[in-house]
Amino acid sequence: MPTREDIPSVEVPKEIRLFRTSLIATVTMMVSYETNIDHYSTISILSQCWDGFVNVLLAKHTPSAKLVAIKRYNMDKLKEDSYLVEHEIILTRQLQHPNIIKYFSSFVNGPEVCVISPLMAFGSCKDLLDTHHFSQGLPENAITLILKDVLEGLDYIHRKGIIHRAIRASHILISRKGNACLSGLRYACPIIEQGKWQKQIHTFPINVSKNLNWLSPEVLEQNLLGYNEKSDIYSVGVVLCELANGSEPFAGMATTLMLVEKVRGAAPQLLDCSTISRNENNELNGFSHNQANRRFSEGLHQLTALCLQREPLCRPTAAQLCNHSYLKVSRRGLYLPDLLKPVLPLSDRVAHNTDDLANLDTIHKMSNLDLFTCEWDF
Amino acid sequence: MPLFGKSQKSPADVVKALKEAVNSLEKGDKKAEKAQEDVSKNLVLIKNMLYGTSDAEPQTDIIVAQLAQELYNSNLLLLLIQNLNRIDFEGKKDVAQVFNNILRRQIGTRSPTVEYICTKPEILFTLMTGYEHQEIALNCGTMLRECARYEALAKIMLYSDDFYNFFKYVEVSTFDIASDAFSTFKELLTRHKILCADFLEMNYDKVFNHYQRLLNSENYVTRRQSLKLLGELLLDRHNFTVMTRYISNPDNLKLMMNMLKERSRNIQFEAFHVFKVFVANPNKPKPILDILLRNQDKLVEFLMKFHTDRAEDEQFNDEKAYLIRQIRELRPSADH
Repeated sequence: MPTREDIPSVEVPKEIRLFRTSLIATVTMMVSYETNIDHYSTISILSQCWDGFVNVLLAKHTPSAKLVAIKRYNMDKLKEDSYLVEHEIILTRQLQHPNIIKYFSSFVNGPEVCVISPLMAFGSCKDLLDTHHFSQGLPENAITLILKDVLEGLDYIHRKGIIHRAIRASHILISRKGNACLSGLRYACPIIEQGKWQKQIHTFPINVSKNLNWLSPEVLEQNLLGYNEKSDIYSVGVVLCELANGSEPFAGMATTLMLVEKVRGAAPQLLDCSTISRNENNELNGFSHNQANRRFSEGLHQLTALCLQREPLCRPTAAQLCNHSYLKVSRRGLYLPDLLKPVLPLSDRVAHNTDDLANLDTIHKMSNLDLFTCEWDF
Repeated sequence: MPLFGKSQKSPADVVKALKEAVNSLEKGDKKAEKAQEDVSKNLVLIKNMLYGTSDAEPQTDIIVAQLAQELYNSNLLLLLIQNLNRIDFEGKKDVAQVFNNILRRQIGTRSPTVEYICTKPEILFTLMTGYEHQEIALNCGTMLRECARYEALAKIMLYSDDFYNFFKYVEVSTFDIASDAFSTFKELLTRHKILCADFLEMNYDKVFNHYQRLLNSENYVTRRQSLKLLGELLLDRHNFTVMTRYISNPDNLKLMMNMLKERSRNIQFEAFHVFKVFVANPNKPKPILDILLRNQDKLVEFLMKFHTDRAEDEQFNDEKAYLIRQIRELRPSADH
């Protein structure tokens, strides 16, 4: 929900604060995000995905002067995938939770489908790991705060009968106030099929080659036993390693080898002084000193191991993980944006980037050139 | 009641409580907040009886049968759908889940809920108008597609005047609602082959007049989806009569020839699959033949350069080669 974002953090009495929260919430709810591109002025390009056929742009919603993100899918370029776009948008529109990305509206503009969503000013967790500062992982406190939000969001979609199937750092977005949201629901599937809550799902997600490293062994095996929502918990474990180590386990490994490793139950680990062993010459086998000297808490190690168990039944549910003693420790006073410094939220660091936008415009115009000049004779 | 434990209410109690809560929600009196809470609570109770939870199995068939009977007798399904916009966000989805589960109920080969809805078609019509309201459109869509799986229900919807509203719904500016409406529209027109073929034959003029608007829509997605569906409908052998009629009309041929030249490659490609039927027709009416003859050289030249990058698509290349040969060999008919 975007509402909390707008409340100034001045100390005010609780009653007034509550009143203000509800007032602002009401006002924010009343902003309607029109299904017309003319109400949005683009400022810069935030990111590109799906081979450049999907652009995420920073824009201002001119009637309310609010910053939003516009995701533009070029439907003429996406071929088999175009129905995934539909699936993602329709599904996301039917979810309402502070830790699931919200889509304000969606509409067609030329050959593009545009989706308006709140601006997630820190980008995705993958963007954070791509910064020089966090290339070897995020600090433990930051991971914990993100994890709590991810688990709340995951618990919600599991209760609603949905398996996410693509939990990974690039699908976890961070708002300016440090709230983490799950996105990437195009790979999700329903647990309810044929009017029944299924114990096992057997369908393999489509177009999934980029997510393989995060998928659980039982999803990858594609055998008769199938899988259920616990496969998302395995992916949470992989994400914990990804956030802690800077890149996901099995990265750069041949796909078949990765599969064999997972199926035989090799559990990835958080890299720190307790898990990195030195060889006889006291060398670090390719790990950095920073990684070899740090220490993650026992709690985080344990929680990661719980998620990455080979047997799905042994893994806790998202709700159980939310209540894990490690996450129950009070973390009042910890504020994710502080922990992410020196990385700053987007609104503070981007200026109007006309060059990129002009480029995008040119590409757009080029692709619209009329190549067929022949006229029919009717 | 040892069967379902101490704390569990009987189906009759839950249905009664839910009905009262929806009624007071409808009245919108002072107790609206309490009513909202009661609606949500009882919906969850019913949903859990039908689907079970992570700790509990679904209820036995006997309990579900009682529940279904209570739902029919109390007319609650219609009441819930009529008040769907007043129910909170999660409650709306619970209504759809309860509805879809009850709909699938079977006793032997009978589907009692389907039989019930046949006697209460307002349920279907209320669901269809749901597409006019942003906040319930997607929930109604979920239920409608489930209904469309049953021939008896699909028939009521197809042959109603409300069906023609779909031509409006599939084009609304909100993309998610438009594409959800299109899925339902497509389901209605393709699911039950014989029913659909009969419907299209009997209502050819009305349907295709409306359909023409979709093909000329300003909305790229609508244009592309409707063109693709048109191709599927014409190539389905059940729709042979409809296809013959469609490919006898020179205006349709002109439209497809223009769409072959559209900017969008996807639209060109879909148009190709309709255009090919006109050319492949062994008994081309004179007006069709005339247009093809007038453009004979242009068409051959055009097709030679058409989507040459699809080298790996064998079927497409075979079809294209066949069309080029056919068009080259076209001769004026004897009486020309």
